[in-house]
Amino acid sequence: MLLILGDEHKQHLEYLCSVSLDVVQEFCRLSVEFLMKGTNAKIYNSAAQKLGVEAIIIQKAIEGLMHLFLESSKLLLIESDFQDSVKAAGFSDELQSELLRCYLENQADIRRIQLDISMGLSHYRDLEWRLDVKLASRSLRHQVEPVVTMKLHVKDSGKEETRLLQTDPVNLVHMTRTLEEALQELNSAHCRRICRNF
Amino acid sequence: MGFYLLTYLLTLANDTDVDYGRGPWIRKLRMDLSEDVIEGLHLAGDSVHIPDQSFLLLLRIVSESIVDRRPADPHLSAKKEFGSVDRGTLKQVYAALGALLLEAAKLDKDVAAVSQVLEDCKFSQERIKQLIAVYQQHKQPLRSVLSKIGSNLPHVVDVDWRLDYYIKNNNLEKVSRPVFLIDLKTRVNASEETETVQIACTQDQLQDLVGKLRDACKGLERVAQL
Repeated sequence: MLLILGDEHKQHLEYLCSVSLDVVQEFCRLSVEFLMKGTNAKIYNSAAQKLGVEAIIIQKAIEGLMHLFLESSKLLLIESDFQDSVKAAGFSDELQSELLRCYLENQADIRRIQLDISMGLSHYRDLEWRLDVKLASRSLRHQVEPVVTMKLHVKDSGKEETRLLQTDPVNLVHMTRTLEEALQELNSAHCRRICRNF
Repeated sequence: MGFYLLTYLLTLANDTDVDYGRGPWIRKLRMDLSEDVIEGLHLAGDSVHIPDQSFLLLLRIVSESIVDRRPADPHLSAKKEFGSVDRGTLKQVYAALGALLLEAAKLDKDVAAVSQVLEDCKFSQERIKQLIAVYQQHKQPLRSVLSKIGSNLPHVVDVDWRLDYYIKNNNLEKVSRPVFLIDLKTRVNASEETETVQIACTQDQLQDLVGKLRDACKGLERVAQL
């Protein structure tokens, strides 16, 4: 699969052809850092001053790199595909290998970030549990009631939440059995056939 | 309405007159029944105010309406069995009997303690026997109703699950992995409504969750064997 770079995109990346390899390396590092942690406009200005060009050109170049890496990760391009795509854009061999190196190094991290921002559901992180016995309350003395208290840690688009729940022994066993059944279902013939075909 | 009757009766029972100097028989009772309740019990035991037939029926109505959590019948005094009973007295006796049954069940009092209270309120032996019979018959259901009062964390009563195969989204082609959607149905504070806590899990995460739940079950088994 080839990634076709749009004309505007190619224009933005053209600036990279006119600078030395060190600068290209620095830009690659910056683009990956911005993908992980967000952009920082001050960097554009300081780089512009050092290199003697307008900040907007630097910004477009780095954003172009970010977009290139994002699209390649999204399509899960393998090495040869990435190289072919970049070659078609008309970059020099040195530039190509530098971009490839950066892409391969950071592909897993970039995909992880993309997956994180895609999740619309609260994901399970951890479960702490504890067994108590309820002995008495204001409305009833001389009780012996076992209670299982649970702290469920979930993560929802970066935000972590905890929920406190409780249950009794019967429901705990029921919960465990039901969820074990769910896990078993993944090993059934039907599910394995579907998973294989995608 | 039944719920409010319960809480009202409980506050009655606990509404003690702090002046303990007021008659040695209040201290003897050891069940912290308020003055109103004691007065009501005196009336209940008195066959002039409450004839025998009315007493039996009233006992049954009080105990059943608490256990079944039914609201009190507002037209109770119109029943023919209560024709001769003054309405104010009926109300006080109804509350007193309910308070006594609830307080005795709450403190897990045995037959002897309850009999003692009734004797102090000048109940006849026949009426004591009748009340004790009703108390013994309904003690467990009363305790069960009382145990549900109080604040709890959301209580998990059921689990639903669904297995999806996550193919792709707008940011990523080829996500290609199974995702479980787990619904934990919880009940808050003995009401009938359930709320749902929904979480998603990958296969590894679900295995982790099931492992932890299995540990909890094993912990329970070990404690149960002690």
